[in-house]
Amino acid sequence: MTFQELILALERFWAEHGCLIVQPYNSEVGGGTFNPHTFMRTIGPEPWNVAYVEPSRRPTDGRYGENPNRLQQFHQYQVILKPSPLDIQELYLESLRALGTDPSHHDIRFIEDDWESPTLGAWGLGWQVWLDGLEISQFTYFQQCGGIDCKPVSGELTYGLERIAMYLQDVDDVYELKWAPGIRYGELYKRAEWEWSTYNFEQADTDLQKKLFEEYEKQVAALLGLSDKKGKGGALRFDREPLERLVLPAYDAVIKCSHYFNVLDARGAISVTERQLYIGRVRLLARAAAESWYAQREALGFPLLDTAAAAQ
Amino acid sequence: MSSEFLLEIGTEELPSSFVTHALRSMHASAVELVGQARLGTDSLEVHTMGTPRRLALRLRGLAPSQPDRDETIAGPPWSAAFDADGAPKKAASGFAKKHGVAVEDLQKQTTDKGDYVSVQVHEAGRATREVLADILPQLCQRITFPRSMRWGPGEIAFGRPIHWIVSLLGSDVIGFEFAGVQAGRATRGHRFLAPESFDLDAADYYEAALEGAHVLVDLDRRKARMMEGLLASAESLGGVLERDAFLADECLSLVEEPFTVPGSFDESFLELPDAVVVSVMRDHQRYFAVRESEGGALVPAYLNVVNTAEDPQTIAKGNDRVLRARLADARFFVEEDRKAPLADRLEKLESVVFQSKLGTMGAKVRRLQANARALAERSEADRDACVEAARLCKADLETLIVYEFPELQGEMGRWYALREGIDPAVADAIRDHYRPQGADDVVPDQRVGAVVAVADRIDTLVGCFGIGLIPTGSADPFALRRAALGIIRIALEGPVDVDLRQLIDQAYGAYAGDAKLAPADDVRASLDDFFRGRIRAMLKDSYGGDVVDACLGAWDGSSLRDLQTRIEAVSELGSAPEFEALAVAFKRAFNITKESARGPIDQALLEAGAESALAERFGTVRDQIREATGQRRYADALRLVAKELGAPIDRFFDEVFVMVDDARVRENRLRLLGEIADTVNGIAHFHQLGTKLQRRDPSVSA
Repeated sequence: MTFQELILALERFWAEHGCLIVQPYNSEVGGGTFNPHTFMRTIGPEPWNVAYVEPSRRPTDGRYGENPNRLQQFHQYQVILKPSPLDIQELYLESLRALGTDPSHHDIRFIEDDWESPTLGAWGLGWQVWLDGLEISQFTYFQQCGGIDCKPVSGELTYGLERIAMYLQDVDDVYELKWAPGIRYGELYKRAEWEWSTYNFEQADTDLQKKLFEEYEKQVAALLGLSDKKGKGGALRFDREPLERLVLPAYDAVIKCSHYFNVLDARGAISVTERQLYIGRVRLLARAAAESWYAQREALGFPLLDTAAAAQ
Repeated sequence: MSSEFLLEIGTEELPSSFVTHALRSMHASAVELVGQARLGTDSLEVHTMGTPRRLALRLRGLAPSQPDRDETIAGPPWSAAFDADGAPKKAASGFAKKHGVAVEDLQKQTTDKGDYVSVQVHEAGRATREVLADILPQLCQRITFPRSMRWGPGEIAFGRPIHWIVSLLGSDVIGFEFAGVQAGRATRGHRFLAPESFDLDAADYYEAALEGAHVLVDLDRRKARMMEGLLASAESLGGVLERDAFLADECLSLVEEPFTVPGSFDESFLELPDAVVVSVMRDHQRYFAVRESEGGALVPAYLNVVNTAEDPQTIAKGNDRVLRARLADARFFVEEDRKAPLADRLEKLESVVFQSKLGTMGAKVRRLQANARALAERSEADRDACVEAARLCKADLETLIVYEFPELQGEMGRWYALREGIDPAVADAIRDHYRPQGADDVVPDQRVGAVVAVADRIDTLVGCFGIGLIPTGSADPFALRRAALGIIRIALEGPVDVDLRQLIDQAYGAYAGDAKLAPADDVRASLDDFFRGRIRAMLKDSYGGDVVDACLGAWDGSSLRDLQTRIEAVSELGSAPEFEALAVAFKRAFNITKESARGPIDQALLEAGAESALAERFGTVRDQIREATGQRRYADALRLVAKELGAPIDRFFDEVFVMVDDARVRENRLRLLGEIADTVNGIAHFHQLGTKLQRRDPSVSA
């Protein structure tokens, strides 16, 4: 099964199981969770089932294309089922069968792995899924997102596509994976890994990254009308009505901030104490975007609740 | 004989640490709730069982029903309920109505505080099945987890989502609902080997039925099966299993039916340090290591405890691949690390924070060198080796391999140092300065390691106390209690003594320029107190709290071995037959002279007989006792006290009245006793001793 066949098989499987199939986000993200199809839609009462590929960047994981297992950009297959159905584990195992892997002939384990994204103010409980000792997926029940309690709870399945493909194709080196007949993964990404590693570790202009971080930070506040003053118990205050806030452009700027922070981190340009401060700043922005999204959907009367009711 | 009750809560995979935690709370709640509900009998047995997918409770010896209950319930004061003519007021009728009786049935109850209305209530006991149906939802609600979660649209939080509940009393379902799940008799077997749901006929078939469905629900049985498999597989590989209690518990809680699948790796990876290979296998993959013999070389193989073994070749092949990649990573880290000597990492330590108010690790390392030098100069340790080991002991924190495997700190520093050709005494000290890690760990057995270990711990203690980070209650984030205990144990069991006063002053001085600490006297006083508390806690079980207190009282807070010598001497004397009388006599001598002034003894005022005999004997041995005390020969000193002063002082108290009216004679007498008390108190504070000393069991070490 080639890399692209793997993606197609997952797309087909989840489409058949009621998921909306959408496309990756067009900005630098650390994982599928950053995509608004997850970050925004897991907030609030409206149901949501979605699946998509997410090219994900982790600047500190770059190895100049020299390590057969580590990449600064890899591909996640992200599935959100909201509310999490009771048979979500069964669905997941069935998706492995759709990839030609019969779970009863392998050792499949659900190993505790609580997930947290400090920058997104999101956390959940769940597992890593191991297939014969290899971690192939993350499985998370979202408890909070953007600092808001998830009600209902979403189930998030994240497949590590490179790892699964290496397993299915029985290769030890990620660059040897067949993406499609005649084209290997290395052809597509080996040079990219070297260039991005060199950029992230050596050449990224740290002054520029810091400046961009600060400018985008201001942009978020401006687009949301986020006030400097806080309300009771540290509640955020906004000078704009929910429907006047530009939530999506603001969130885009939050993602930029998160990315510039990651690059600065990889460059070793941030001290330990500064690091916590940066994370806190991004989390505040993410929370402002999340609360604004919730307020907007509420102002619109949570339209998908009606759609769901009509479907029943 | 009543029926057995079974509760099983079927869940998604619970984390391994959750299962034992949840079962403990389930057990405690069951005992409490059954007791409160009056369902317990003398033969009540509460047993919990569990796997990653189920928490189960078995109750045997439940009462068939609650016993009836007769109770007197007190109500309002009589005067508030009835008027002077005995006619009922509103309070009386209200109280009667509340308890379902007529006003005529109310009784007068006389108490210290006056007369009250009371009512006799008879409550018929309910059938066990009815009571269980009431308490089971509470029982489920009370199960706790280290962390709980919600799922789907529900509001209830539990360790993981609940899928089914079995609740059977004998063969009857005790129905109730929890977290939206209706309890019944349907359970499930192993997720992959027996996935279909099936009905249990009765509670007592539970374990056998599940075993048929590939689930060993009893933890002990499952563990026995797992260990059997591991030992047999190790043997078939021609080696022995590397025992690992933590890993065993972890693996046990990941499977419902344990199978062992062996795998292997390329022999070339054995060039890595054993500790790295074992850590990769254990921490990343949860594999057991195999050695050629007990403590022998590693075999290039591992044992994997798995939940299914339908196709062991496939499982082994997949795991081999993962392990190969992990070991290749580790080899890469080690090779990278070896490109530069350890000392090159010192510069990086300058930007690593030790504690925000105490500066960087780089500064700490400089203080460690100063502390180690001072300690070495006062002991017989090789000074240059101590300073060099102190300089290098934290360098491996900046290696790739320790970043990846933090538990290998010290171990890897030693390994790299040896390969750089560094003095083995220094290399060993890099590893040993982390010892003892806990109560079960050994102390460094060589002087250099012991010196650096003490230098490191005292720096942390003085620094933290200096900025007010003093442990309170259970809060001890910097493990300061363990650090203090480490120093005490190294001094008492290891190769170097420690002078605590000098050590604290040295470490305090070393902070000059690095951090602003509280005034030296405050730090010294609070640390002295802290160490005394630790010493007491550590030694009281072996020697008795009173012996330790008596010696701590006489000790000046400097040499730890000096304190130990005192304690041993007092403890030894404590087992002598004449001890009790001696202790009583010196206690009296101390108590009676507590407030009195000291001064020269006037021989002329001594009364002939017991008093002058005591004075004479004391005059003869006083200097010998003081000399032995000064030379820390406490056992000798105490022997002299017992032998020379025991009989005379007993006789003195028998025959001489101290508090006579003649002030000059009285004061002279008190001066004699006072001097004796002071001399003995220089060894240990006898007045703090109980008269029955706990005999030291020589098989118990301190």
